[in-house]
Amino acid sequence: MFLSVRLPVLACLGAVLVLGAAAPAQAQKAETPVLVTSCGQSPGPIKLTVYMKRLQIAHDLKTDATAKDLGAKPYKTLIVVTGSSLKGMGAAGVSIDDEVKRVGALIDEARKKGITIVGAHVEGMERRAKSAAPGDNSDEISIDAVCPKSNFLIVRKDGDEDGRFTTLSKKHNIPVVFFQKNTEIQDVLKNVFGS
Amino acid sequence: MTTRLLAQKIVVAALGLALFVSAGISFHRSRNLAEPVVLGPGVTSVKKLGEYFAAIRGTVNDCNLYFMEGREPGGTMLVLGGSHAEEPAGRLAAWLFVENGTVEKGRVIVALSANRSASTMTRLGGAYPPDFTIDTPSGPRMFRMGDRWTNPLDQWPDPEVFIHYPSGQELAYVDIRNLNRTWPGRPNGTFTEKTAFAFMEMIRREKVDVAIDLHEAELQYPVISTIVTHQRGQELATMVSMMLTDNEDFKIGTEFSPLTLHGLSHREIGDHSPAISLLFEAPEPFLDATRGITSREQLLTGKDEFVVKAGRHGLLFEEIDEKGWPIAVRVGRHTSSILQVAETWSEDNPAKPLAISGVPRYAEVIEKGVGAFLQDVTKAGKDRLAYE
Ligand SMILES: [Zn+2]
Repeated sequence: MFLSVRLPVLACLGAVLVLGAAAPAQAQKAETPVLVTSCGQSPGPIKLTVYMKRLQIAHDLKTDATAKDLGAKPYKTLIVVTGSSLKGMGAAGVSIDDEVKRVGALIDEARKKGITIVGAHVEGMERRAKSAAPGDNSDEISIDAVCPKSNFLIVRKDGDEDGRFTTLSKKHNIPVVFFQKNTEIQDVLKNVFGS
Repeated sequence: MTTRLLAQKIVVAALGLALFVSAGISFHRSRNLAEPVVLGPGVTSVKKLGEYFAAIRGTVNDCNLYFMEGREPGGTMLVLGGSHAEEPAGRLAAWLFVENGTVEKGRVIVALSANRSASTMTRLGGAYPPDFTIDTPSGPRMFRMGDRWTNPLDQWPDPEVFIHYPSGQELAYVDIRNLNRTWPGRPNGTFTEKTAFAFMEMIRREKVDVAIDLHEAELQYPVISTIVTHQRGQELATMVSMMLTDNEDFKIGTEFSPLTLHGLSHREIGDHSPAISLLFEAPEPFLDATRGITSREQLLTGKDEFVVKAGRHGLLFEEIDEKGWPIAVRVGRHTSSILQVAETWSEDNPAKPLAISGVPRYAEVIEKGVGAFLQDVTKAGKDRLAYE
Protein backbone atom coordinates (compact mmCIF):
# COMPACT_ATOMS: atom_id res chain seq x y z
CA MET A 1 0.00 0.00 0.00
CA PHE A 2 2.60 2.38 1.13
CA LEU A 3 5.01 1.35 -1.61
CA SER A 4 2.42 1.34 -4.38
CA VAL A 5 1.56 4.96 -3.69
CA ARG A 6 5.14 6.05 -3.32
CA LEU A 7 6.63 4.48 -6.43
CA PRO A 8 4.48 6.21 -9.07
CA VAL A 9 4.96 9.52 -7.30
CA LEU A 10 8.68 9.04 -7.29
CA ALA A 11 8.62 7.97 -10.93
CA CYS A 12 6.67 11.08 -11.94
CA LEU A 13 8.99 13.28 -9.92
CA GLY A 14 11.96 11.64 -11.56
CA ALA A 15 10.57 12.15 -15.04
CA VAL A 16 9.86 15.81 -14.34
CA LEU A 17 13.39 16.30 -13.06
CA VAL A 18 15.01 14.59 -16.03
CA LEU A 19 12.88 16.35 -18.65
CA GLY A 20 13.20 19.65 -16.86
CA ALA A 21 16.96 19.40 -16.75
CA ALA A 22 17.46 18.10 -20.26
CA ALA A 23 14.96 20.21 -22.18
CA PRO A 24 16.69 23.61 -22.30
CA ALA A 25 20.11 22.21 -23.14
CA GLN A 26 18.75 20.05 -25.95
CA ALA A 27 16.73 22.76 -27.62
CA GLN A 28 19.48 24.79 -29.27
CA LYS A 29 21.24 22.96 -32.06
CA ALA A 30 23.84 23.88 -34.63
CA GLU A 31 25.96 22.07 -37.19
CA THR A 32 29.60 21.99 -38.21
CA PRO A 33 31.85 23.31 -39.63
CA VAL A 34 31.90 26.41 -37.48
CA LEU A 35 33.53 29.78 -38.05
CA VAL A 36 34.41 31.47 -34.76
CA THR A 37 35.10 35.20 -34.64
CA SER A 38 35.12 38.10 -32.21
CA CYS A 39 33.36 41.42 -32.08
CA GLY A 40 35.77 43.56 -30.06
CA GLN A 41 38.99 41.48 -30.15
CA SER A 42 38.68 40.16 -26.57
CA PRO A 43 40.49 36.94 -25.59
CA GLY A 44 37.05 35.25 -25.25
CA PRO A 45 36.95 33.19 -28.49
CA ILE A 46 39.83 30.99 -27.31
CA LYS A 47 37.67 29.88 -24.36
CA LEU A 48 35.36 28.22 -26.87
CA THR A 49 37.97 26.96 -29.30
CA VAL A 50 40.12 25.18 -26.68
CA TYR A 51 37.10 23.02 -25.90
CA MET A 52 36.07 22.69 -29.56
CA LYS A 53 39.55 21.37 -30.26
CA ARG A 54 39.31 18.83 -27.42
CA LEU A 55 35.83 17.75 -28.55
CA GLN A 56 36.95 17.62 -32.19
CA ILE A 57 34.23 19.99 -33.37
CA ALA A 58 35.31 21.13 -36.84
CA HIS A 59 35.98 24.86 -36.63
CA ASP A 60 38.15 27.75 -37.73
CA LEU A 61 39.06 30.68 -35.53
CA LYS A 62 39.43 33.94 -37.40
CA THR A 63 39.21 36.95 -35.11
CA ASP A 64 39.02 39.32 -38.09
CA ALA A 65 36.72 37.21 -40.28
CA THR A 66 34.86 39.04 -43.05
CA ALA A 67 31.89 38.11 -45.25
CA LYS A 68 34.43 36.76 -47.76
CA ASP A 69 35.65 34.11 -45.29
CA LEU A 70 32.23 32.49 -45.27
CA GLY A 71 32.89 31.41 -48.85
CA ALA A 72 36.06 29.51 -47.95
CA LYS A 73 34.17 26.49 -46.56
CA PRO A 74 30.56 25.35 -46.39
CA TYR A 75 30.19 26.75 -42.88
CA LYS A 76 26.93 25.85 -41.13
CA THR A 77 27.44 27.95 -38.01
CA LEU A 78 28.95 31.33 -37.17
CA ILE A 79 29.82 32.03 -33.53
CA VAL A 80 30.54 35.66 -32.67
CA VAL A 81 32.07 36.20 -29.25
CA THR A 82 31.10 39.61 -27.84
CA GLY A 83 32.89 41.82 -25.35
CA SER A 84 35.76 44.09 -26.29
CA SER A 85 39.36 44.61 -25.35
CA LEU A 86 40.90 48.02 -25.99
CA LYS A 87 44.28 46.34 -25.97
CA GLY A 88 43.14 43.67 -28.43
CA MET A 89 41.61 46.24 -30.74
CA GLY A 90 44.71 48.42 -30.41
CA ALA A 91 46.96 45.51 -31.37
CA ALA A 92 44.72 44.70 -34.35
CA GLY A 93 44.59 48.39 -35.32
CA VAL A 94 40.78 48.57 -35.28
CA SER A 95 38.14 50.54 -33.36
CA ILE A 96 34.83 49.28 -32.01
CA ASP A 97 33.13 51.03 -34.95
CA ASP A 98 35.28 49.02 -37.38
CA GLU A 99 34.38 45.86 -35.49
CA VAL A 100 30.64 46.58 -35.59
CA LYS A 101 30.84 47.29 -39.33
CA ARG A 102 32.84 44.13 -40.08
CA VAL A 103 30.66 41.84 -37.96
CA GLY A 104 27.46 43.46 -39.26
CA ALA A 105 28.40 42.59 -42.84
CA LEU A 106 29.52 39.12 -41.76
CA ILE A 107 26.19 38.40 -40.04
CA ASP A 108 24.20 39.72 -43.03
CA GLU A 109 26.11 37.41 -45.36
CA ALA A 110 25.66 34.46 -42.97
CA ARG A 111 21.91 35.07 -42.90
CA LYS A 112 21.79 35.10 -46.70
CA LYS A 113 23.56 31.74 -46.72
CA GLY A 114 21.26 30.26 -44.09
CA ILE A 115 24.09 29.86 -41.59
CA THR A 116 23.12 29.56 -37.91
CA ILE A 117 24.33 32.59 -35.97
CA VAL A 118 25.32 32.15 -32.33
CA GLY A 119 26.12 35.16 -30.14
CA ALA A 120 28.35 34.40 -27.17
CA HIS A 121 29.50 36.21 -24.03
CA VAL A 122 31.85 34.07 -22.00
CA GLU A 123 33.86 36.31 -19.67
CA GLY A 124 31.31 37.48 -17.12
CA MET A 125 31.16 41.00 -15.72
CA GLU A 126 34.88 41.46 -16.45
CA ARG A 127 33.84 41.97 -20.06
CA ARG A 128 30.84 44.19 -19.31
CA ALA A 129 31.80 47.83 -19.77
CA LYS A 130 33.91 48.23 -16.66
CA SER A 131 37.29 46.84 -17.40
CA ALA A 132 38.70 48.74 -20.33
CA ALA A 133 38.75 52.42 -19.39
CA PRO A 134 36.53 54.94 -17.59
CA GLY A 135 33.53 55.82 -19.74
CA ASP A 136 34.26 53.10 -22.28
CA ASN A 137 31.16 51.14 -23.30
CA SER A 138 32.54 49.17 -26.22
CA ASP A 139 31.56 45.90 -24.46
CA GLU A 140 27.92 46.92 -24.62
CA ILE A 141 28.20 48.19 -28.20
CA SER A 142 29.60 44.81 -29.17
CA ILE A 143 26.76 42.95 -27.41
CA ASP A 144 24.13 45.11 -29.14
CA ALA A 145 25.74 44.60 -32.52
CA VAL A 146 25.58 40.82 -32.30
CA CYS A 147 23.02 39.42 -29.86
CA PRO A 148 19.74 40.76 -31.33
CA LYS A 149 20.72 39.27 -34.72
CA SER A 150 21.59 35.82 -33.36
CA ASN A 151 19.59 32.61 -33.58
CA PHE A 152 20.52 31.87 -29.99
CA LEU A 153 23.00 32.96 -27.34
CA ILE A 154 25.60 31.22 -25.19
CA VAL A 155 26.29 33.24 -22.03
CA ARG A 156 28.20 32.69 -18.80
CA LYS A 157 25.60 33.35 -16.14
CA ASP A 158 27.66 35.82 -14.10
CA GLY A 159 27.76 38.14 -17.12
CA ASP A 160 23.97 38.45 -16.75
CA GLU A 161 24.22 39.85 -13.23
CA ASP A 162 22.14 42.86 -14.25
CA GLY A 163 19.75 40.81 -16.43
CA ARG A 164 21.17 42.27 -19.65
CA PHE A 165 20.98 39.02 -21.63
CA THR A 166 17.69 37.89 -20.09
CA THR A 167 16.14 41.20 -21.19
CA LEU A 168 17.65 40.91 -24.67
CA SER A 169 16.36 37.38 -24.94
CA LYS A 170 12.79 38.32 -23.98
CA LYS A 171 12.68 41.44 -26.12
CA HIS A 172 13.93 39.75 -29.29
CA ASN A 173 12.61 36.29 -28.51
CA ILE A 174 16.08 34.72 -28.72
CA PRO A 175 16.84 31.69 -26.55
CA VAL A 176 19.86 31.79 -24.24
CA VAL A 177 21.93 28.82 -23.12
CA PHE A 178 23.42 29.82 -19.79
CA PHE A 179 26.35 28.11 -18.12
CA GLN A 180 27.85 28.76 -14.69
CA LYS A 181 31.38 27.45 -14.70
CA ASN A 182 33.92 27.60 -17.50
CA THR A 183 34.29 23.84 -17.57
CA GLU A 184 30.56 23.61 -18.44
CA ILE A 185 31.39 25.15 -21.85
CA GLN A 186 32.30 21.59 -22.77
CA ASP A 187 28.77 20.33 -22.05
CA VAL A 188 27.15 23.29 -23.79
CA LEU A 189 29.18 22.60 -26.94
CA LYS A 190 28.45 18.87 -26.76
CA ASN A 191 24.73 19.59 -26.55
CA VAL A 192 24.72 22.20 -29.30
CA PHE A 193 26.84 20.25 -31.77
CA GLY A 194 25.94 16.71 -30.70
CA SER A 195 23.49 14.66 -32.72
CA MET B 1 82.37 86.30 13.22
CA THR B 2 84.57 84.02 11.13
CA THR B 3 84.81 81.52 13.99
CA ARG B 4 81.01 81.52 14.17
CA LEU B 5 80.73 80.93 10.43
CA LEU B 6 83.31 78.20 10.65
CA ALA B 7 81.42 76.60 13.54
CA GLN B 8 78.22 76.72 11.49
CA LYS B 9 79.99 75.13 8.55
CA ILE B 10 81.41 72.40 10.75
CA VAL B 11 77.97 71.65 12.21
CA VAL B 12 76.37 71.45 8.76
CA ALA B 13 79.23 69.31 7.45
CA ALA B 14 78.93 67.03 10.50
CA LEU B 15 75.20 66.67 9.96
CA GLY B 16 75.79 65.90 6.30
CA LEU B 17 78.43 63.35 7.22
CA ALA B 18 76.08 61.75 9.76
CA LEU B 19 73.39 61.41 7.08
CA PHE B 20 75.94 60.12 4.59
CA VAL B 21 77.28 57.51 7.02
CA SER B 22 73.88 56.32 8.25
CA ALA B 23 72.47 56.14 4.71
CA GLY B 24 75.66 54.44 3.56
CA ILE B 25 75.36 51.83 6.30
CA SER B 26 71.73 51.24 5.34
CA PHE B 27 72.59 50.92 1.63
CA HIS B 28 75.52 48.65 2.40
CA ARG B 29 73.44 46.42 4.69
CA SER B 30 70.64 46.18 2.17
CA ARG B 31 73.03 45.36 -0.68
CA ASN B 32 74.75 42.65 1.36
CA LEU B 33 71.85 41.16 3.29
CA ALA B 34 72.10 37.43 2.67
CA GLU B 35 68.79 35.65 2.33
CA PRO B 36 69.01 31.97 3.27
CA VAL B 37 67.33 29.35 1.09
CA VAL B 38 66.70 25.90 2.52
CA LEU B 39 67.00 23.43 -0.34
CA GLY B 40 63.82 21.40 -0.27
CA PRO B 41 63.51 17.70 -1.06
CA GLY B 42 63.10 18.39 -4.77
CA VAL B 43 66.26 20.42 -5.38
CA THR B 44 68.76 18.19 -7.14
CA SER B 45 71.40 20.81 -7.94
CA VAL B 46 72.12 24.53 -7.70
CA LYS B 47 73.75 26.09 -10.75
CA LYS B 48 74.78 29.63 -11.58
CA LEU B 49 73.45 31.82 -14.38
CA GLY B 50 77.05 32.60 -15.33
CA GLU B 51 77.49 28.98 -16.45
CA TYR B 52 75.46 29.91 -19.52
CA PHE B 53 77.19 33.17 -20.37
CA ALA B 54 80.70 33.96 -19.14
CA ALA B 55 80.23 37.75 -18.96
CA ILE B 56 77.77 37.28 -16.09
CA ARG B 57 80.05 34.94 -14.12
CA GLY B 58 81.08 36.39 -10.76
CA THR B 59 78.94 39.54 -11.17
CA VAL B 60 76.11 40.62 -8.88
CA ASN B 61 73.66 39.06 -11.39
CA ASP B 62 75.30 35.63 -11.33
CA CYS B 63 72.19 34.34 -9.58
CA ASN B 64 71.43 30.85 -8.34
CA LEU B 65 69.39 28.51 -10.52
CA TYR B 66 67.66 25.78 -8.53
CA PHE B 67 67.25 22.60 -10.56
CA MET B 68 64.48 20.23 -9.51
CA GLU B 69 64.93 17.10 -11.56
CA GLY B 70 62.05 14.62 -11.60
CA ARG B 71 62.44 10.88 -11.08
CA GLU B 72 60.77 10.39 -14.44
CA PRO B 73 61.51 12.41 -17.59
CA GLY B 74 59.11 14.99 -18.96
CA GLY B 75 58.87 18.65 -19.86
CA THR B 76 60.97 21.52 -18.48
CA MET B 77 59.43 24.51 -16.76
CA LEU B 78 61.29 27.68 -15.78
CA VAL B 79 59.98 29.88 -12.95
CA LEU B 80 61.46 33.38 -12.72
CA GLY B 81 61.09 35.21 -9.42
CA GLY B 82 62.59 38.66 -8.94
CA SER B 83 62.57 39.96 -12.52
CA HIS B 84 61.23 43.00 -10.71
CA ALA B 85 62.65 42.75 -7.22
CA GLU B 86 60.13 45.25 -5.82
CA GLU B 87 57.39 42.67 -6.37
CA PRO B 88 58.02 40.36 -3.39
CA ALA B 89 55.15 37.91 -3.99
CA GLY B 90 56.87 36.82 -7.19
CA ARG B 91 60.07 36.01 -5.31
CA LEU B 92 58.29 34.36 -2.36
CA ALA B 93 56.12 32.13 -4.56
CA ALA B 94 59.27 30.86 -6.27
CA TRP B 95 60.85 30.40 -2.82
CA LEU B 96 57.99 28.08 -1.79
CA PHE B 97 58.73 25.87 -4.79
CA VAL B 98 62.43 25.58 -3.88
CA GLU B 99 61.86 24.92 -0.16
CA ASN B 100 58.84 22.60 -0.46
CA GLY B 101 58.47 21.14 -3.93
CA THR B 102 59.19 17.68 -5.24
CA VAL B 103 59.14 16.98 -8.94
CA GLU B 104 57.94 13.52 -9.93
CA LYS B 105 57.93 13.99 -13.67
CA GLY B 106 59.84 16.46 -15.78
CA ARG B 107 62.03 19.24 -14.48
CA VAL B 108 61.58 22.63 -12.86
CA ILE B 109 64.26 25.35 -12.87
CA VAL B 110 63.75 28.25 -10.47
CA ALA B 111 65.42 31.66 -10.13
CA LEU B 112 64.61 33.66 -6.99
CA SER B 113 66.54 36.80 -7.98
CA ALA B 114 66.42 37.00 -11.77
CA ASN B 115 67.74 40.56 -11.63
CA ARG B 116 69.81 40.20 -8.46
CA SER B 117 71.27 43.69 -8.82
CA ALA B 118 67.76 45.17 -8.65
CA SER B 119 67.19 43.37 -5.37
CA THR B 120 70.06 45.24 -3.70
CA MET B 121 68.34 48.62 -3.38
CA THR B 122 64.89 50.16 -3.33
CA ARG B 123 63.41 52.75 -5.66
CA LEU B 124 65.42 55.96 -5.24
CA GLY B 125 63.33 58.59 -3.51
CA GLY B 126 60.47 56.12 -3.03
CA ALA B 127 60.94 55.78 0.75
CA TYR B 128 60.50 52.02 0.50
CA PRO B 129 61.76 49.94 3.45
CA PRO B 130 65.04 48.16 2.58
CA ASP B 131 63.79 44.81 3.85
CA PHE B 132 60.83 42.94 5.27
CA THR B 133 60.37 39.99 7.58
CA ILE B 134 58.17 36.93 7.32
CA ASP B 135 57.43 35.14 10.59
CA THR B 136 57.90 31.40 10.42
CA PRO B 137 57.43 28.66 13.04
CA SER B 138 61.23 28.60 13.43
CA GLY B 139 61.63 32.37 13.75
CA PRO B 140 61.69 35.44 11.52
CA ARG B 141 63.16 35.36 8.00
CA MET B 142 64.37 38.62 6.52
CA PHE B 143 64.20 39.44 2.80
CA ARG B 144 65.53 42.31 0.73
CA MET B 145 62.95 44.67 -0.68
CA GLY B 146 64.26 45.49 -4.12
CA ASP B 147 63.66 47.78 -7.05
CA ARG B 148 62.21 47.54 -10.53
CA TRP B 149 65.53 48.51 -12.11
CA THR B 150 69.11 47.30 -12.02
CA ASN B 151 71.08 49.12 -9.31
CA PRO B 152 72.82 52.18 -10.90
CA LEU B 153 75.97 51.05 -9.08
CA ASP B 154 76.00 48.16 -11.55
CA GLN B 155 74.86 49.98 -14.68
CA TRP B 156 75.27 53.70 -15.18
CA PRO B 157 74.61 56.23 -16.71
CA ASP B 158 71.25 55.94 -18.48
CA PRO B 159 71.04 57.25 -22.06
CA GLU B 160 68.62 59.91 -23.29
CA VAL B 161 66.68 57.28 -25.17
CA PHE B 162 66.65 53.50 -24.89
CA ILE B 163 66.53 51.72 -28.24
CA HIS B 164 65.46 48.15 -27.65
CA TYR B 165 67.55 45.44 -29.28
CA PRO B 166 66.83 43.86 -31.74
CA SER B 167 63.45 45.49 -32.52
CA GLY B 168 64.74 49.08 -32.61
CA GLN B 169 61.68 50.14 -30.62
CA GLU B 170 62.11 53.29 -28.54
CA LEU B 171 61.37 52.69 -24.85
CA ALA B 172 61.56 54.85 -21.71
CA TYR B 173 65.21 55.70 -21.00
CA VAL B 174 65.16 54.31 -17.46
CA ASP B 175 63.97 50.93 -18.77
CA ILE B 176 67.44 50.28 -20.13
CA ARG B 177 67.92 48.92 -16.58
CA ASN B 178 64.60 47.03 -16.53
CA LEU B 179 65.12 43.29 -17.07
CA ASN B 180 61.56 43.01 -18.34
CA ARG B 181 62.23 45.51 -21.13
CA THR B 182 65.59 44.18 -22.27
CA TRP B 183 64.67 40.65 -23.39
CA PRO B 184 66.12 38.89 -25.36
CA GLY B 185 69.29 40.85 -24.58
CA ARG B 186 72.62 40.63 -26.39
CA PRO B 187 76.11 39.44 -25.51
CA ASN B 188 77.79 42.82 -26.03
CA GLY B 189 75.03 44.99 -24.57
CA THR B 190 74.44 46.65 -21.22
CA PHE B 191 74.67 44.71 -17.98
CA THR B 192 70.89 44.18 -17.94
CA GLU B 193 70.90 43.08 -21.60
CA LYS B 194 73.69 40.63 -20.81
CA THR B 195 71.61 39.24 -17.94
CA ALA B 196 68.63 38.73 -20.26
CA PHE B 197 70.95 37.14 -22.83
CA ALA B 198 72.32 34.73 -20.20
CA PHE B 199 68.78 33.64 -19.36
CA MET B 200 67.97 33.18 -23.06
CA GLU B 201 71.08 31.00 -23.44
CA MET B 202 69.99 28.93 -20.45
CA ILE B 203 66.41 28.62 -21.79
CA ARG B 204 67.69 27.45 -25.18
CA ARG B 205 70.35 25.11 -23.79
CA GLU B 206 68.16 23.51 -21.13
CA LYS B 207 65.33 23.16 -23.69
CA VAL B 208 62.76 24.94 -21.54
CA ASP B 209 59.19 24.21 -22.67
CA VAL B 210 57.33 26.74 -20.54
CA ALA B 211 58.83 29.90 -19.02
CA ILE B 212 56.84 31.66 -16.29
CA ASP B 213 57.79 35.18 -15.18
CA LEU B 214 56.25 36.18 -11.82
CA HIS B 215 55.20 39.79 -11.22
CA GLU B 216 52.98 42.07 -9.17
CA ALA B 217 51.27 45.24 -10.36
CA GLU B 218 49.82 48.38 -8.84
CA LEU B 219 46.03 48.48 -8.92
CA GLN B 220 46.12 51.51 -11.17
CA TYR B 221 47.81 49.45 -13.89
CA PRO B 222 45.42 47.85 -16.40
CA VAL B 223 47.43 44.64 -16.75
CA ILE B 224 46.61 43.03 -13.40
CA SER B 225 45.28 39.74 -12.00
CA THR B 226 46.03 38.14 -15.30
CA ILE B 227 48.22 35.81 -17.32
CA VAL B 228 49.92 37.55 -20.22
CA THR B 229 50.79 35.01 -22.87
CA HIS B 230 52.80 34.67 -26.03
CA GLN B 231 50.61 33.59 -28.96
CA ARG B 232 51.90 30.02 -28.71
CA GLY B 233 50.59 29.89 -25.13
CA GLN B 234 47.10 31.28 -25.77
CA GLU B 235 45.29 27.97 -25.35
CA LEU B 236 47.38 26.93 -22.34
CA ALA B 237 46.84 30.27 -20.58
CA THR B 238 43.13 30.35 -21.38
CA MET B 239 42.61 26.85 -20.03
CA VAL B 240 44.65 27.67 -16.89
CA SER B 241 42.67 30.86 -16.31
CA MET B 242 39.36 29.00 -16.71
CA MET B 243 40.38 26.17 -14.36
CA LEU B 244 41.65 28.57 -11.67
CA THR B 245 38.55 30.77 -11.86
CA ASP B 246 36.31 27.68 -11.66
CA ASN B 247 38.10 25.83 -8.90
CA GLU B 248 40.11 28.15 -6.68
CA ASP B 249 38.00 31.06 -5.57
CA PHE B 250 40.05 33.74 -7.29
CA LYS B 251 39.71 35.39 -10.66
CA ILE B 252 42.55 35.51 -13.13
CA GLY B 253 42.14 36.58 -16.74
CA THR B 254 44.25 36.27 -19.86
CA GLU B 255 45.88 38.91 -22.01
CA PHE B 256 47.58 38.22 -25.30
CA SER B 257 51.06 39.65 -25.62
CA PRO B 258 50.94 42.38 -28.29
CA LEU B 259 53.09 41.40 -31.28
CA THR B 260 54.63 44.83 -31.53
CA LEU B 261 55.44 45.55 -27.87
CA HIS B 262 59.05 44.58 -27.33
CA GLY B 263 61.46 43.75 -24.54
CA LEU B 264 58.99 41.88 -22.34
CA SER B 265 59.46 38.24 -21.38
CA HIS B 266 56.03 37.17 -22.69
CA ARG B 267 57.00 38.43 -26.13
CA GLU B 268 60.73 37.84 -26.49
CA ILE B 269 61.29 34.48 -24.73
CA GLY B 270 58.62 33.01 -27.00
CA ASP B 271 60.03 34.74 -30.09
CA HIS B 272 63.66 33.79 -29.45
CA SER B 273 63.35 30.24 -28.12
CA PRO B 274 61.02 27.27 -28.52
CA ALA B 275 59.59 27.94 -25.01
CA ILE B 276 56.05 29.14 -24.43
CA SER B 277 56.33 32.33 -22.36
CA LEU B 278 53.79 33.39 -19.75
CA LEU B 279 53.81 36.28 -17.27
CA PHE B 280 51.59 36.39 -14.16
CA GLU B 281 50.48 39.64 -12.50
CA ALA B 282 49.16 39.72 -8.91
CA PRO B 283 47.82 42.89 -7.24
CA GLU B 284 50.29 44.86 -5.06
CA PRO B 285 48.86 48.08 -3.52
CA PHE B 286 52.38 48.80 -2.20
CA LEU B 287 53.28 50.00 -5.69
CA ASP B 288 50.32 52.33 -6.17
CA ALA B 289 51.19 55.99 -6.53
CA THR B 290 48.28 56.97 -4.29
CA ARG B 291 49.41 54.73 -1.40
CA GLY B 292 49.70 56.12 2.13
CA ILE B 293 52.55 55.17 4.41
CA THR B 294 55.09 53.01 2.61
CA SER B 295 55.74 50.69 5.54
CA ARG B 296 56.77 47.08 5.97
CA GLU B 297 53.27 46.47 7.27
CA GLN B 298 51.68 47.80 4.08
CA LEU B 299 54.02 45.60 2.04
CA LEU B 300 52.74 42.50 3.85
CA THR B 301 49.06 43.35 4.43
CA GLY B 302 48.34 45.24 1.22
CA LYS B 303 45.98 47.41 3.29
CA ASP B 304 45.80 51.06 2.30
CA GLU B 305 42.94 53.47 2.85
CA PHE B 306 44.19 55.85 0.16
CA VAL B 307 44.23 53.14 -2.48
CA VAL B 308 40.73 52.13 -1.34
CA LYS B 309 39.71 55.75 -1.85
CA ALA B 310 41.19 55.74 -5.36
CA GLY B 311 39.02 52.69 -6.00
CA ARG B 312 35.90 54.58 -4.94
CA HIS B 313 36.77 57.17 -7.58
CA GLY B 314 36.95 54.46 -10.24
CA LEU B 315 40.69 54.81 -10.76
CA LEU B 316 41.63 51.16 -10.27
CA PHE B 317 41.62 48.07 -12.46
CA GLU B 318 41.27 45.67 -9.51
CA GLU B 319 39.05 45.74 -6.46
CA ILE B 320 40.34 46.56 -2.98
CA ASP B 321 38.61 46.95 0.37
CA GLU B 322 39.70 47.27 4.00
CA LYS B 323 40.94 43.66 3.91
CA GLY B 324 43.67 44.72 1.50
CA TRP B 325 45.77 42.31 -0.56
CA PRO B 326 47.79 40.29 2.01
CA ILE B 327 51.04 38.72 0.89
CA ALA B 328 49.62 35.20 1.37
CA VAL B 329 46.84 35.93 -1.13
CA ARG B 330 49.33 37.27 -3.67
CA VAL B 331 51.78 34.39 -3.19
CA GLY B 332 48.96 31.81 -3.27
CA ARG B 333 47.67 33.16 -6.57
CA HIS B 334 51.12 32.58 -8.04
CA THR B 335 51.71 29.07 -6.62
CA SER B 336 48.28 27.87 -7.79
CA SER B 337 48.76 29.41 -11.21
CA ILE B 338 52.16 27.72 -11.67
CA LEU B 339 50.81 24.36 -10.51
CA GLN B 340 47.82 24.71 -12.83
CA VAL B 341 50.10 25.45 -15.78
CA ALA B 342 51.99 22.23 -15.01
CA GLU B 343 48.74 20.24 -14.86
CA THR B 344 47.18 21.69 -17.99
CA TRP B 345 50.48 21.44 -19.86
CA SER B 346 50.68 17.74 -18.94
CA GLU B 347 47.14 17.06 -20.19
CA ASP B 348 47.99 18.63 -23.53
CA ASN B 349 51.52 17.18 -23.76
CA PRO B 350 51.34 13.66 -22.33
CA ALA B 351 54.78 12.84 -23.76
CA LYS B 352 56.34 15.69 -21.76
CA PRO B 353 54.57 15.67 -18.40
CA LEU B 354 55.27 17.94 -15.44
CA ALA B 355 54.23 16.55 -12.05
CA ILE B 356 54.99 18.63 -8.97
CA SER B 357 53.96 17.94 -5.38
CA GLY B 358 54.49 19.47 -1.95
CA VAL B 359 53.87 23.08 -2.99
CA PRO B 360 50.84 24.68 -1.30
CA ARG B 361 48.04 26.09 -3.44
CA TYR B 362 46.11 29.33 -2.94
CA ALA B 363 43.75 28.21 -0.14
CA GLU B 364 46.51 26.53 1.84
CA VAL B 365 48.89 29.50 1.66
CA ILE B 366 46.10 31.79 2.89
CA GLU B 367 45.09 29.37 5.66
CA LYS B 368 48.58 28.74 7.03
CA GLY B 369 50.48 31.84 5.90
CA VAL B 370 53.61 32.11 3.77
CA GLY B 371 55.88 31.58 6.81
CA ALA B 372 54.49 28.09 7.39
CA PHE B 373 56.21 27.02 4.18
CA LEU B 374 59.63 28.51 4.90
CA GLN B 375 61.77 25.78 6.44
CA ASP B 376 63.97 25.95 9.54
CA VAL B 377 67.34 27.38 8.51
CA THR B 378 69.09 26.11 11.67
CA LYS B 379 68.05 22.52 10.97
CA ALA B 380 69.19 22.48 7.36
CA GLY B 381 72.54 20.82 6.76
CA LYS B 382 75.26 23.05 5.31
CA ASP B 383 74.99 21.31 1.95
CA ARG B 384 71.23 22.00 1.93
CA LEU B 385 71.55 25.76 2.38
CA ALA B 386 72.04 28.39 -0.28
CA TYR B 387 72.04 32.19 -0.10
CA GLU B 388 70.47 34.81 -2.35
ZN1 LIG C 1 56.79 43.51 -12.63
